[in-house]
Amino acid sequence: MLHRLLLVLALIAVPAGAIADVIDARHFEIAQEEDGLKVSADFGFDLSPRLDEALHHGVPLYFVVEFELVRPRWYWFDEKTASDKLVLRLLYHTLSRQYRVSRGAFYQNFASLGEALRTMGTVRDWTVAERDRVKSDEGYVASLRMRLDTTQLPKPFQVTALTNREWTLASDWVRVVFTAGRTGSASK
Amino acid sequence: MTYALIASAALGGILLFLLAAASANTPLFSEHYPLLLALNALIAAALLGLVIYQLVVLARQRRAKVFGSLLTFRLLVMFAIIAVLPGALVYTVSVQFLAKSIESWFDVRVDKALEGGLSLGRAALEAMLSDLTRKARSMALDLSDMPSAQHTMALSRLREQVGVEDALLLTAGGKVLGGASREAVKLLPSMPSAAALRQARQSRVYSAIEPQGDRGLLLRVIVPVDSLSFAEEARLLQLTQPVPQALAEQGESVQSVYHAYKELSLSRQSLRNIYILTLTLTLLLALFSAIALAFLLSRRLSRPLAVLAEGTQAVARGDFSRRAPIMSRDELGILTQSFNSMTEQLDEARSAAEANRAQLETAKAYLESLLANLSAGVLVFDSGLVLRTINRAAENILQRDLVSLIGTPPDRWQKLPKVAATLMQQFAMQTEGAWQHQIELPERVIVLRGSALPAASGGGYVVVFDDITQLIAAQRATAWAEVARRLAHEIKNPLTPIQLSAERLHAKLAGKLSAEDGQALERATDTIVAQVTAMKNMVDDFREYARTPAPVLEPLDINGLVTDVLALYEQSGVQVRLRLQSGLPPVRGDRNQLRQVIHNLLQNSQDALAGSGDPRIDIATSFVPEAAGGRVMLRISDNGCGFPEAIMQGAFEPYVTTKPKGTGLGLAIVKKIIDEHHGSISIVNRPEEKGEQGAAVSISLPLAKAA
Repeated sequence: MLHRLLLVLALIAVPAGAIADVIDARHFEIAQEEDGLKVSADFGFDLSPRLDEALHHGVPLYFVVEFELVRPRWYWFDEKTASDKLVLRLLYHTLSRQYRVSRGAFYQNFASLGEALRTMGTVRDWTVAERDRVKSDEGYVASLRMRLDTTQLPKPFQVTALTNREWTLASDWVRVVFTAGRTGSASK
Repeated sequence: MTYALIASAALGGILLFLLAAASANTPLFSEHYPLLLALNALIAAALLGLVIYQLVVLARQRRAKVFGSLLTFRLLVMFAIIAVLPGALVYTVSVQFLAKSIESWFDVRVDKALEGGLSLGRAALEAMLSDLTRKARSMALDLSDMPSAQHTMALSRLREQVGVEDALLLTAGGKVLGGASREAVKLLPSMPSAAALRQARQSRVYSAIEPQGDRGLLLRVIVPVDSLSFAEEARLLQLTQPVPQALAEQGESVQSVYHAYKELSLSRQSLRNIYILTLTLTLLLALFSAIALAFLLSRRLSRPLAVLAEGTQAVARGDFSRRAPIMSRDELGILTQSFNSMTEQLDEARSAAEANRAQLETAKAYLESLLANLSAGVLVFDSGLVLRTINRAAENILQRDLVSLIGTPPDRWQKLPKVAATLMQQFAMQTEGAWQHQIELPERVIVLRGSALPAASGGGYVVVFDDITQLIAAQRATAWAEVARRLAHEIKNPLTPIQLSAERLHAKLAGKLSAEDGQALERATDTIVAQVTAMKNMVDDFREYARTPAPVLEPLDINGLVTDVLALYEQSGVQVRLRLQSGLPPVRGDRNQLRQVIHNLLQNSQDALAGSGDPRIDIATSFVPEAAGGRVMLRISDNGCGFPEAIMQGAFEPYVTTKPKGTGLGLAIVKKIIDEHHGSISIVNRPEEKGEQGAAVSISLPLAKAA
């Protein structure tokens, strides 16, 4: 019985683990500034034909930028200092042929898809934690990734996304070792 | 097992409901849809595992030939078929129906109509947009004719002329130089994006329909305002006009329907997959639950049968104590109950039979012990005169091994010719009724009584016989004692007068007769007196014989007694040789009477040796082991004249004597005493062939402790 359970879990886990590195994390920078920890990053990506088709048929696509800050501890599990996520929504407005990118209540219209994607892939001055959350002279590891949130897709696409790699779009975790008070960055 | 099944089925049911709810086009659980799917698959797998486990258990029982496992298996197969067939049918039809019905949602005409509606809306918007562009161009042209300082002033007028909502004059960099609005209080008109400005600069026109979220659609056109002088910075004119509310709403609604339709169309394969997946999971859950349930039900149905079978096997082994528990009130329960009552009845019948048998055996054993301990001998013959049963007393009395004669008729008995002949003769004469016959065997007399057994009990004959030797001897002894007493009485009375008369005769006539006559008288009276005295002695002997008292039995050392008696014979001139076995166990006897016995026997021997040249007496004692403890044997022999053949038979009877002066009572008294000691006595003449002569008397006496 246990075997069977593990097998099922493995079936679920395999596609998630084997996410193709479609979103290219080009730049990741974290800096401690006056009003908190600021993250800047650049992601480059394109939509697969299937996602493109879905978008142009009016399906909204949700992208998530996830941030995690951990303090490694050799004697115990790493301490999760901070985590945050940014939800971006991409929608095609058929009537006006405009691509709209929303981030919370804020939105922008774009006439071309490439422009919209570029805008989405650019993260600037994202406050991920208050300044005093990190102690000075401690070593931290900051991780960042961007992915398409398939759970926000309509149900039928969710099921397809479980097995179809065309529906998965994500970057690998980019990790930066960061010491409080200094700026950590990684670029390709 | 049952609880696992119930839990799995319940969980499966709940999850299926959730899955079905999520599968329907509702936002409920849509986020957790994959999780629900996985959980359902897990439950299905768990149920499958349960079914496989049950099957494995069943197969193992089948291999171990557990009673009822085949029945369970068959019931299981039947239940499974009942569950699987309709399930599969419904499933197949559902899948077909699903595919057809999903396909039927989509129609080319609807597609076209929706697309047409959208195009229509778009065309209307584009027309408005091109109109706005045209107005913007004319405004830009008007503005370019003026010096730039007047632009701001002219803007309001020009806006009024063309009738647009907002007009905005910007620098190339996007800085607002001036604006005009239909509503005077409007603070800030909608600012163009950097991309729009760039496009306006580069391609000399930017026109777009911009969705404003909830506020409908906005038409935006940006055109450059050409300056007359090159020194001046290029300016941009932006006109914005909101799409009329009604048009925007209509367009949006057409778009949303179009989107929904397109989304559905795009996802129809996925949708079908979802429904089929849900259906399949439902089917699997239902099937596995049904099979697992079928297994339990089969078990439940076949269990009473297995219990009954166990009970049957127990009964076959002879164990009637098992009672199958009654588990249901249906026919199986009734069957179990009848089985139980049958077992009970069997048990009762068997115990009754057992009791009967025990009773019979007891009765038989009782009869057998009765027969064995009977002092009379018993012979039972069947109707063909074949010997069937004997008892121990029969063997003792006849002193023969009769067991070997069982199964043979009397005419083939070699060992007992006289008995056999008598039996054959009597059986031939008396076929019915009882008979009695007395025969004499050497040393014993037996009386045979025969009777025919009733034909109802199988016929045959029973012969009962007794050794009456003792009885006869006792009768004889009693008779002799009576004779002796009478004789003594009758004879003794006249003897005294006779003697007295003879003495008086002698006294009266002695002086009156001549010497010759006197001598004759004296001789005669002497003879009379002597003979009377002898007669008196004889009478005393008789009386003694008749009055021998009952012996006082006590443990006695026979060797000591013999030495005791021999002391009296030391002067007799007869050589006595003793061969006494040492360490003899004591016998039961009366010291005085046994002394008399030895005395009488030695007297007899002495008498027999009178005139013998080499008189010799041998006395020997020995121990004769027997089954019942053994006896002590005393043997006294001499080398005298021995017993005459004629008196050997009646030597122990009174008045049988060979001596001129004997009363014939010596051996009779010996015999009487030995009989009263429960001993035995026998006399033989020593065989002359071996160069021996004389008589030998052997006495055997019981041991003290054996009595």
